[in-house]
Amino acid sequence: MNILPDFRLHRPATLDEAVRLKTQFGNPACVAGGTDLLVNLRRGLAEPRDLIDLSGLRDLNEIQRQGDELWIGALVTLARLTRDPEITSAYPVIAEAAASVAGPTHRAAATLGGNLCQDTRCVYFNQSEWWRTGNGFCLKHDGDKCHVVAKSDRCYATYHGDLAPVLIALGASAIVVREGGIRRLPVEDLFKEDGAHYLTLAPDEILAAIALPPLGAQRAAYVKARVRDAIDFPLTGIAVALTRENDVIAALRVAITGMNSAPLLVDVSKLIGKPWGDETATLLSNALRSRATALATTLAGPKYRRRAMQGLARRLMDQAWAQESTNESANE
Amino acid sequence: MSIKELKKTRIGGVGVPTPLIDGVDKVTGKALYTADLPAPDALCGRILRASLPHARIVSVDVSQALALEGVIAICTGEDCRIPFGVLPIAENEFPLAREKVRYRGEPVAAVAAIDEKTADKALKLIRVEYEKLPAYFDAKKAMAEGVTAVHADKPNNILREVHAEFGDSEAGFASADLVREKTYKFAEVNHAHIEPNATLAEYETDGGRLVIHTTTQVPYYVLRNVSKCLEIEEAHVRVIKPFVGGGFGARTECLHFEIIAALLARKAKRTVRLLQTREETFLAHRGRPETSITVKLGMKKDGRLTACHLQATQCGGAYASYGIITILYTGALLHGIYDIPAIKHDGWRVYTNTPPCGAQRGHGTVDPRAAFEALMNEMADELGLDPFAVREINLLPQVPYVTAYAQRVMSYGLPECLEKVKKASGWDERRGKMPKGRGLGVACSHFVSGTTTPKHWTGEPHAVVNLRLDFDGGVTVLTGAADIGQGSNTMAGQMVAETLGIDWRRIRVISADSALTPKDNGSYSSRVTFMVGNAAIDAAQQLRQILIEAAAKKLDARPEDVECDDEVFRVVGQDPGLSFAEVAKAALIGGGAITVSGAFNSPKEFMGDRAIKGSAIGATMGFCYAAQVVEASVDEVTGKVTAHKVWVAVDVGRALNPLAVEGQIQGGVWMGMGQALSEETRFVDGKMLHGNLLDYRVPTSVESPDIEVHIVESIDPNGPFGAKEASEGMLAGFLPALMDAVHEAAGVWPHTLPLSPDRISDLLDARDRVKK
Repeated sequence: MNILPDFRLHRPATLDEAVRLKTQFGNPACVAGGTDLLVNLRRGLAEPRDLIDLSGLRDLNEIQRQGDELWIGALVTLARLTRDPEITSAYPVIAEAAASVAGPTHRAAATLGGNLCQDTRCVYFNQSEWWRTGNGFCLKHDGDKCHVVAKSDRCYATYHGDLAPVLIALGASAIVVREGGIRRLPVEDLFKEDGAHYLTLAPDEILAAIALPPLGAQRAAYVKARVRDAIDFPLTGIAVALTRENDVIAALRVAITGMNSAPLLVDVSKLIGKPWGDETATLLSNALRSRATALATTLAGPKYRRRAMQGLARRLMDQAWAQESTNESANE
Repeated sequence: MSIKELKKTRIGGVGVPTPLIDGVDKVTGKALYTADLPAPDALCGRILRASLPHARIVSVDVSQALALEGVIAICTGEDCRIPFGVLPIAENEFPLAREKVRYRGEPVAAVAAIDEKTADKALKLIRVEYEKLPAYFDAKKAMAEGVTAVHADKPNNILREVHAEFGDSEAGFASADLVREKTYKFAEVNHAHIEPNATLAEYETDGGRLVIHTTTQVPYYVLRNVSKCLEIEEAHVRVIKPFVGGGFGARTECLHFEIIAALLARKAKRTVRLLQTREETFLAHRGRPETSITVKLGMKKDGRLTACHLQATQCGGAYASYGIITILYTGALLHGIYDIPAIKHDGWRVYTNTPPCGAQRGHGTVDPRAAFEALMNEMADELGLDPFAVREINLLPQVPYVTAYAQRVMSYGLPECLEKVKKASGWDERRGKMPKGRGLGVACSHFVSGTTTPKHWTGEPHAVVNLRLDFDGGVTVLTGAADIGQGSNTMAGQMVAETLGIDWRRIRVISADSALTPKDNGSYSSRVTFMVGNAAIDAAQQLRQILIEAAAKKLDARPEDVECDDEVFRVVGQDPGLSFAEVAKAALIGGGAITVSGAFNSPKEFMGDRAIKGSAIGATMGFCYAAQVVEASVDEVTGKVTAHKVWVAVDVGRALNPLAVEGQIQGGVWMGMGQALSEETRFVDGKMLHGNLLDYRVPTSVESPDIEVHIVESIDPNGPFGAKEASEGMLAGFLPALMDAVHEAAGVWPHTLPLSPDRISDLLDARDRVKK
């Protein structure tokens, strides 16, 4: 299909109205930049009867300090994340991760909320309607079988967002608005490991903002592997936030993307209190191996993605460990 | 006119960097491409495509679709019983499948409806019943014993087998100090031209004639095939090529969608717009086939080649297309670049149940050249020789040179190309001393400047260009050549401006409209500059003579005493002369508007040797030669190969327009880089997985290295002002040069392309296992 399917377009002026609309209609789609959704709609990957255009909600387009936190509205574009002084000075890792998403024209339109909530991907899913018809569709949409894991009862489509792992490593919270209230949850809890239903947002909820705690003494970094250094989604991505105290790892958060159906926080508790070296590297490698489940959802095979994840994680930690910390004074 | 006389200053003059004449229209968005053409009443065409890779069609039921309101016409295989194809000896494709489908995505039916939504709905109402047949997706399996034939006339699925030997290869290998044989595998690639396929087929209600606007490199072949398939007079079809967003060989033959649009328009008696999605454009394919090359070289201790044996197997897809020529090319261009005493060649072009392959930039020569050069580098390494020295010692001894394949080399700038890139890259100082993870590599390559034997032998010249001069003093260049972005309109204008010595703005070029312009075979095999350029010069010389005679009459002088330059006609040594406008007016007296017709024919001695089978392929009047050095790095963690810099020197004969030549050379190198680094088609059980520009990985600007171009001018005696081909010859060299650089950087010799991160990771892991 080339043309968009028919839908009713709603343009709420306030967040309250948006939440009301979302509650009112069964399974509406939300759109802001449209870089993910519109492509999928044209391919017939969804046929929502109602489309809620969030781009008029000015409140969601702000970056502001709230106590010691920095709140970033869900409508802030990725392009703005790459250059806003609040971000580039206090959270350069976010600016860098945002700059590595897709290409400049995408980043000009794409939003933080849209990037976090982007649909999961799979070579058997991101195809034209003709293609999927000839393949008997799949669990994620219109079908009842998974072509990646035979006889699976859940979809294994992969989450490929770049910002989620960074925000998870930084311990950020998602600010979710629903009728009559606000809910706050760790970013990692926005997601669940099911390719077809990868978000935990309730039908009446809208992601409004991200709240970032101060970086403090953490050394945060993100790296990903992909074939081309623009446009391509990450084949694997790792974010770390490390607090080094003298010669031990005082605190560490590691998150991965591009491997599972959700961005995941990796349990690295065994590394805490130890120096970074071959022994802890092995512990990290084991932790990653037991958490990541790369499957044949991308054209580059799972073997490559696992190898790259391990290699990049080691490189990233080596660099973070050796890094002269510049943030210690800046954020205290 | 001698080269010395050429002025180096006037825009549009030969050797003067001249912006393409349609460049501003393109960058400002004024240029209209096929999909942009206004046709408010046009019906929307859509194609129903086969869901199976190989099946017998039991029935096609369109009754429900036809009953849908808004559906005007539906065509199926029943509507066209004449097969089409680019080679008269292998026309075996139907615009809409009859009896069988042979690849997943082959058109089975087509709908013309009042809008896209209705057309889509109609497609879903068409019922096709298939009987599944065994399908083959790789050459070996397709050639195996007891297979089901994809085409009944080829029971073993081999479209063409080629075997040739020149000299005594056995003796050559016996006399060598080192003999090596290796197999290199090249993934299938696609042109990924940026404008998707599209046709606007206008139906003239007053007589049923058709006007076809289409995305093509070959308007003449489109006209020929549409008329043939629709069984209507050629005079009843007009083909116009609007602006075209690239071709690279994808559009060097009439394609199914063009005939389908015409069939729908005729049946609906309405204008039909048939736009193809990116996925459908990938399905039309005609790219470079997946190829396995086993190459064996014999080398003396000093690097001198004693013999070459190359075996090529191509997984060609479901229809013949250019296949016979492609497989012949894998042997034809083993000649003409080095002096090799014995050359043996075996080739197999195999039918498979995938979208048909065709011609792609560097047609048929890229993979064999890459394999040859890669093995040359590996053997140089084994013998402890500099890869430059190995090339230098094997250069052609002199020009003119006649190859064993009967090709005549009249100009040969390869030695200078090698010198230039060696110096520019700092090879002698840097190679072998690069920091860890970084390397330099080198390779050479070449390509023809047009094929001297046309595919459709009609007895007509290779090219015809008409010039028209009227009362306004404007010179209109009429050429059938299809400008697809390469700049042929600018080139044709330049030939005329230079020959007539007139202001660039006096010239308008009208091209590729069968009602206005003389027939041209099309833009392929780098024939246009050489052939159309020469025809334009011929026409301009005729017009010049007419003008000189008119001036002589007015000046009361003998024509041989009149000179013309910078729009002034004067008796040699006398002032003042006559202006161009005055002379043009004088020339029109009596006869009115002037039209002259120039032509180009290739002399017989350049058309191969009848005694050598297949030598019509690769027969040319001039080869373009290239040498390049690539600097690259390998990231051991991600397996990623990055090309940082390319120094490329190309013998283009003469750079008619250095600006365009530089761009073409960079484009050629860049396309080689795509094939070397990341581009490949991917299928699962015949289902195309790469049908979009996210999964088909054309490099982005981030991956694009600085490409430093060095132009070498060997001044070919037969080229227009000495010019030769300038956009294909440099492509192949990138692949082996990168493989060589990867070896210096990481100590591995890659044998499978592209060098994607997963393949390189596997090589690095294998290397480390051996070390342990």
